Amino acid sequence: MNIESRKKALRHFFAKVVQPMGFKFTPDADLVEFLLEQEVMLEVKHGVPYCPCQPLRHERARDMQIVCPCIPFHRQHFDAIKRCWCGLFVHKDVVDPDTLPQLSAKEVGLE
Amino acid sequence: MKKVIVYALSTCPWCRKTKKFFTDHEIPFNYVDYDLADQTTQEGIMRELDAAGASGFPFVRIGEQVIVGYQPDGFSAALGL
Amino acid sequence: MSDGFVRAISAADVAPGGMKAVEFDGQEVIVCNCGGKFYAIQRRCGHMNAPLDLGTLDGPYLTCPMHCAQFDVSSGEALSGPVPAEFGDAMVPARLGQFLQNIGMMMQHVRTESIRTYATKVEAGWVQIALKSTQ
Repeated sequence: MNIESRKKALRHFFAKVVQPMGFKFTPDADLVEFLLEQEVMLEVKHGVPYCPCQPLRHERARDMQIVCPCIPFHRQHFDAIKRCWCGLFVHKDVVDPDTLPQLSAKEVGLE
Repeated sequence: MKKVIVYALSTCPWCRKTKKFFTDHEIPFNYVDYDLADQTTQEGIMRELDAAGASGFPFVRIGEQVIVGYQPDGFSAALGL
Repeated sequence: MSDGFVRAISAADVAPGGMKAVEFDGQEVIVCNCGGKFYAIQRRCGHMNAPLDLGTLDGPYLTCPMHCAQFDVSSGEALSGPVPAEFGDAMVPARLGQFLQNIGMMMQHVRTESIRTYATKVEAGWVQIALKSTQ
């Protein structure tokens, strides 16, 4: 299966999911390419496009929480830091994603 | 010199940046790529993450301090750079 | 008929975003309406032959209802393979469990192939399909 074709399809599906939640693809185009490529390879390996930056626990219920886009399962956390964990998505108003630090839920007072 | 341990994922760009940070600053560190490790190692790593209340990578231990996420300022501060 | 195209279905019968299975020349074909552009593909999934018209169409992307393989209907390209099933923790009768395990093992060897597409054109409100497939 062709990586670029699959990335294009994932962009199509993901955009529709994250938009109503107030997110968009990060303006960092290189990061989008890299992360989507990792997700395509994870999908080839596991059948599902998991987040490239979170651990698979090999427990279905928990692993479902890191299927991209995983924003719904981490809504408060990601809204607080204006990005998702791996940075593929950022809040719609974000212009410079480099200014968004990668803070854990604990660090922003959650959990 | 504080001991530095990095738990990472081979698929994660922030983990790569984290490793690069320590390499660039010539700080020796050990790392484990969780996704490439065997089951026992994975279970051990997850126990550590759960104990620290973390659920993402990179997971960095600098001495006694734990930093989750790519945080170069945090790394510098913990190392006293 | 002389140009190799055959009337398959009235364009009005396939709403935008929709798809309809038709049979002609002994072949099962699906006509898809992607925002006004019509595509024709083989009906059977390139994975395990499930009827793709029972799946979902989103833009040019079709998802098979059986195991969720995805295809681009404009090119027939297979984009992703089956999504692994999960049966939960409930106790399963021994023979059923064995059967499912066997099927699962065999499915590891099944590839998801790209699907045949057919050239289409719309003339006088009819979607016409070329008898000869493009692949």
